[in-house]
Amino acid sequence: MNLCEAEKTFILHGVEENFRVDGRERSQYRPMELETNVVAHAFGSSRLRLANTDVLVAVKIETDVPSVDQPDEGKIEFFVDCSANATPDFEGRGGEELATEIANSLTSAYRSTKAFNLSKLCILKGRKCWKLYVDILLLECGGNLYDAVSLAVKAALWNTDIPRVLAVNLDGNNVEMEVSDNIHECVKLDIVPAPVMVTISKIGEQCVVDPSAAEEQCATASMVVAVSQDRFTTVLQSGSGSLHPSTLRESLKLGLEIGSKLDQALIEVLKQKPAKKQIGFLM
Amino acid sequence: MLTTKIFIRKNRAGNFLKNIREHYLRDDIHCGISNCHDCPPNSNISPATHENKCSLYNFNHYLVLDTNVILHQMDLLEEDAMCNVIILNTVLEEVKHRNLPIYKRLNNIMENTDRNFYLFPNNFHIECYIAQDKLEVINDYNDRCIRRACTWYMQHVPDAKFVLLTDDVANRQLAAEENIYCCSVENYVAHLENCGSLQDKLAHHDGHSISKSDDIFPPHLTTLEIHKGIKENKLYQGVYHASRDNFLEGYVVVEESDGTPMQIIVQGRVGQNRAVQGDVVAVELFNVKEWTAPSDLVFEDEGLVESGVDEVLRKEAELNVGKGKKEAEDRKPTGRVVGVIRRKWRQYCGILQQDGDASGLYQLFVPAEKRVPKIRIQTRQGVFLRTQKIVVTIDLWPRHSRYPEGHFVRALGAIGDQATENEVVLLEHEVPHNQFSEQVLKCLPKLPWIITDADVEARVDLRDIDICSVDPPGCTDIDDALHCRPLTKDTFEVGVHIADVSHFIRPGTALDVEAANRATTVYLVNKRIDMVPELLSSNLCSLRGGEERFAFSCIWEIDKNAKILNVRCHKSIIRSRKAMTYEEAQITIDDKTKNDSIAISLRNLNMLAKILKRKRLENGALVLASPEVKIHMDSETMEPLDVEVKKLFETNSMVEEFMLLANISVAEIILEAFPDCAMLRRHPEPPVSNFDPLIKVGKNLGFDIKVDTGKHLAESLDEAVNANNPYINTMLRILATRCMMQAVYFPSGIYEKSNFFHYGLAVPLYTHFTSPIRRYADIIVHRLLAVTVGSDATYPDLLDKQKSKLLCNNLNYRNRMAQYAGRASVAFNTHLFFRNKVQDEEGYILCIRKNAVQILIPRYGLECTLYLAEKGQSSAYFQYDVEEQTQKCGDITLHAFDPVTVRLSLDSSNVQHEKFVLKLVHPYIEGFSLPPLNVPSKRKGDSKNKNKSHEKRKKQLH
Amino acid sequence: MSRKELLSKIGLRQDGRRAEELRRIRCKLGVFTQPDGSAYLEQGLTKVLAAVYGPHQVRGGRSKAQHDAAIINCQFSMAVFSTGERKKRPRGDRKSTEISIHLHQALLAAVKVELYPWSQIDVYVEVLHADGGVFPACVNAATLALIDAGIPLKEYVCACTASLANNNVAMVDISNQEETLGGPVLTVVALPMSAKIVHMEMSQRFHLDHLPKVLNLALQGCKDIKAILDDVVRQHVKDIGSSTGWSQTNRKQ
Repeated sequence: MNLCEAEKTFILHGVEENFRVDGRERSQYRPMELETNVVAHAFGSSRLRLANTDVLVAVKIETDVPSVDQPDEGKIEFFVDCSANATPDFEGRGGEELATEIANSLTSAYRSTKAFNLSKLCILKGRKCWKLYVDILLLECGGNLYDAVSLAVKAALWNTDIPRVLAVNLDGNNVEMEVSDNIHECVKLDIVPAPVMVTISKIGEQCVVDPSAAEEQCATASMVVAVSQDRFTTVLQSGSGSLHPSTLRESLKLGLEIGSKLDQALIEVLKQKPAKKQIGFLM
Repeated sequence: MLTTKIFIRKNRAGNFLKNIREHYLRDDIHCGISNCHDCPPNSNISPATHENKCSLYNFNHYLVLDTNVILHQMDLLEEDAMCNVIILNTVLEEVKHRNLPIYKRLNNIMENTDRNFYLFPNNFHIECYIAQDKLEVINDYNDRCIRRACTWYMQHVPDAKFVLLTDDVANRQLAAEENIYCCSVENYVAHLENCGSLQDKLAHHDGHSISKSDDIFPPHLTTLEIHKGIKENKLYQGVYHASRDNFLEGYVVVEESDGTPMQIIVQGRVGQNRAVQGDVVAVELFNVKEWTAPSDLVFEDEGLVESGVDEVLRKEAELNVGKGKKEAEDRKPTGRVVGVIRRKWRQYCGILQQDGDASGLYQLFVPAEKRVPKIRIQTRQGVFLRTQKIVVTIDLWPRHSRYPEGHFVRALGAIGDQATENEVVLLEHEVPHNQFSEQVLKCLPKLPWIITDADVEARVDLRDIDICSVDPPGCTDIDDALHCRPLTKDTFEVGVHIADVSHFIRPGTALDVEAANRATTVYLVNKRIDMVPELLSSNLCSLRGGEERFAFSCIWEIDKNAKILNVRCHKSIIRSRKAMTYEEAQITIDDKTKNDSIAISLRNLNMLAKILKRKRLENGALVLASPEVKIHMDSETMEPLDVEVKKLFETNSMVEEFMLLANISVAEIILEAFPDCAMLRRHPEPPVSNFDPLIKVGKNLGFDIKVDTGKHLAESLDEAVNANNPYINTMLRILATRCMMQAVYFPSGIYEKSNFFHYGLAVPLYTHFTSPIRRYADIIVHRLLAVTVGSDATYPDLLDKQKSKLLCNNLNYRNRMAQYAGRASVAFNTHLFFRNKVQDEEGYILCIRKNAVQILIPRYGLECTLYLAEKGQSSAYFQYDVEEQTQKCGDITLHAFDPVTVRLSLDSSNVQHEKFVLKLVHPYIEGFSLPPLNVPSKRKGDSKNKNKSHEKRKKQLH
Repeated sequence: MSRKELLSKIGLRQDGRRAEELRRIRCKLGVFTQPDGSAYLEQGLTKVLAAVYGPHQVRGGRSKAQHDAAIINCQFSMAVFSTGERKKRPRGDRKSTEISIHLHQALLAAVKVELYPWSQIDVYVEVLHADGGVFPACVNAATLALIDAGIPLKEYVCACTASLANNNVAMVDISNQEETLGGPVLTVVALPMSAKIVHMEMSQRFHLDHLPKVLNLALQGCKDIKAILDDVVRQHVKDIGSSTGWSQTNRKQ
């Protein structure tokens, strides 16, 4: 989608007037739709639709050996796949750059122990731990991927059941473990402090949140902040363009404020939704 | 409607996956009750003709069984008294999961339409399916499924009644709350009409006979504890083997962590802890200090039904007395059984113990297999059963019971009766010997059997060739015939014609399935259990003299040096000129006055066979020996008249040579056409350690037996000749035979080509082609060959490597069992022959033991033990020399292979285990040997013309 | 201990279906807004999304363009979480490439490519859950997405699997559990109305004698699937029509 100058100017003026093309104010989000437990064979999953940005997240669990540096911690890995369904540009390896960028931002956002405690995933110190694979599938891109992805990831982790370990035996160098095969006997993780990300785009002289795909093209600079319980876990500047330090401060403040509100809203939704029985994905 | 099942499963890589499966619920399942109005009419549902008459209920009813009832009371269910049974699919699946043999037996019952067993797939029925509750235990869930099905049936067919049989009290209570009629099996059977014999078959699993005596066995560990113990290397898992001689001793064969096998001795009540022969058990190994040596005491269980544990305690004490004296190097790993991982209980043949009260409710059963403990059963017909050989199965072995508890299954016939003994031999070796079923017989061709023009068209007509067959006397299943005619001055055409059984047995038919299961014809002394019905085995497939028969011919062009110029195979029609015996053929060859075409061709065949044999032996083929005997039976009384070693003629070897040639040629052909699934036969080279006894004996006799290759072995056996004792060579060959491995069938795809080798015959490729009437492997080979020569088509299973492998496993198993059964039958009849006879016989010492010598009596092919002393004691007369392997008494020394004379008699004091007793006659040792009998032993039963004998072809290792 | 049977004595499969029954098929057209056509299809637990872009100008080098027909560009991709065991990557492996090629072959037989010279049609399928019969589900979903994009087809192109139970009975629409239990799987892509076979593939060898019955059942499966898809398409068109006021115009006439 390429915009012509007139369209860009129209968007720019709208932002200036605090009356965006779709009628929103600068600090307003588009409507979101969230479902959890949509991928039955994953240990946790969620699907988030933010206007026409569509993200599917599934969490798979494997056993692994803890790293030498952190013998009492488990592992988490993020993988983003940009499906060509979203745009033909993603065909083949077309989406890889974007995918890596998003995955890296998530990795750094979750790196802080305060945001996500990996020690709960350790099974036997130095020998055995759980490794969470958080797989993100981008099905449609309608702008503001970071926010959408981070919300979906948090929801999927919230939804995740860790199998209950019944017994761990050390047999020579082999760690043998027994796990309950009953799906109802699982363990939940503490996901409340997990970060959510907020993208702040500078369009003209103003900062907006939740830019649509068209607005993203008009932005002169963008910044993504990850917020966990009123603290930043990561800040990164995305795209081209530069920011004045004062604008930076301003946008950080805005990001923190919006991030906390967003997080609250999400947790509220997750809490009130005790994983209602899903009939089928997308149906 | 659809639901899903979700569970966590561990995969091979050790990861945990969340699995999800669909589960469709249906509304089109028939309830199985013939007069049901709601279900759509179904012609497969037959009306219930039988009426279940139980005095507890004054109405006819359908029965619903729970899983444990099926698992425990299969012998009862196999009785015709209980019909109209609804088997729930959830129950069936659990049965299958828990016990496959029981599942198969249940399936057999369900196939019998008279019994009216209906399988109701309740877990797929929309109204009977219930989901497992979040934290519900699987057993409770299964019981709930059963009750749900019952209530559904009650409401679905209001005019029928349903009774749930379960021995689970809690389940009965819950069922009663839902107004389901329910009852325990014992109670039900007791009130059944004509329940007398049925009650005997009831298995008791609820520890009904709580005796006042305290528990005499330590408890077993739970499955979880066992698993943990094995994982932590504290316990070992292995198969329990009981000692034949000492009921208080056994050993468990386990694998050490590096894979080497180890035997752990277990002794006494605590050590054995209710393990039964063949069970897979968990054992705990003692400290080295507590290790003991295998006891050399002989203990027989002399216990009675009522007797307590005192006798055991006394004998245990005796066992312990011996322990201290054992020398350190004799000590072996010792331990105790702490749990049973898998019971290998089966049905056992045997008799009731004769002493004690014959009319008592409890009787003690003594199995024919000595390694199985006595079994306590409940019966109301003890007096009668004491005269019978019976079959009994074990139900359980509670801690307080000295003996395992079981129940009577069926009677086989009077003790000592020959038919009964045959039955026992067949049962103990799992030989399928039922009558052929209707379905199987339907597959047979109709008589009169006529050769059609189409048949002639499809085959090569060899009716004008002078073909004859050579077989043992009395042979009715003739599966091979031969011919030979000169082509040029230097070349011959030789044909081997094999009965074309695969023409009659088509793949996939009931006949084929049955034959594949039987795998081989089993020859007992006076009975033959055919692999295929008699019409085929003794008539249509048998290449009888003068009759036109279908054959599969393998025809070579051979020059006078027995070099094969070419070979071809095709289906043919032949007419054998004459069915000869080996003896007749031999006479024909030797009689120079006979010059007809048959005589000439036999002479040529014989000449070629000799060259072939020489070539084969030069290649390193082994000539082995095992004493095979023939028992002459009185045709009227079926009593054995005489036992003798089979006589061999040159013609035996002649026929054998050409059969080998045919087999080898066919093996090459089918392997080329089917590299992946040709059915071949291999004979693996034995590990060198197998030969140790042979080498040792050879050394003592001054022969150097080389075993590094088959060829060297063959050569060194040829050289090991002692002019003074010509039998020594035969004895060495007998010993060599015992060092060999079993030859086995296999599909070519599962091994590397280098493993196809046949060690005994020293050929790279071998198969069985020449006896399709009595071996199933040959039928498969025929089918493969028929495809190769374009006269038949393949079918899926023929080309399926995995299926072929399974088939081979069965063939190998059945062959082994058939061999054992044959030997057991010979042994029984030899015993029968020697009853009340005492004879002096020539024999040879086979090997020297510490307190005995093993003696081979060639005339009867018997191998017996001559005890020089009581077991465990040193002989008062003889000195044992370990190094030299001799027993010395004064100036008389007994070496291996020395000729001796012994007195032979039969000890019949144990009805089930008759055994030979030997006494030394020559060399004479004052005080030990006996003076010779006045009557020198001589041949009896000279007239053998009338004697009917079933004789097996000489079976060597191939 | 005991191997499970593909087909029990009473003629029910592990999941309760009879030999000739398909799994439940549910599908939906127009699930996304950005592509020109899109569809979602569930066949049992196998779940597939398909998106169609085009016909549009040939992307990349013009050299690929054909003067007399549109080119069809297919990409098959599986979400890394779609299988029981997590996949390392979503596409680019040999299997995915192979399926892309087969999909291309299958669609080429149905799309009236001659109507769009110099153009390109992109078909992307994304597997969300693989539970047996992935490729057939992709073909069926792609067909729906093409219809949703309004691209003229000669007829529906449908695919289905069939196998042999107990070495004797043919059964249709094989689930993952049945695939792992063994037995050869025959995949057939067909034009069910003209009863033509477009593509056929076998996972293991099996005897020629069995082929006719297995093939027939697979073809029957394709026909049954076509009927289901057709219903959904008609319903979808009706829904769209009514929202744009079609039905009213109809009534007026």
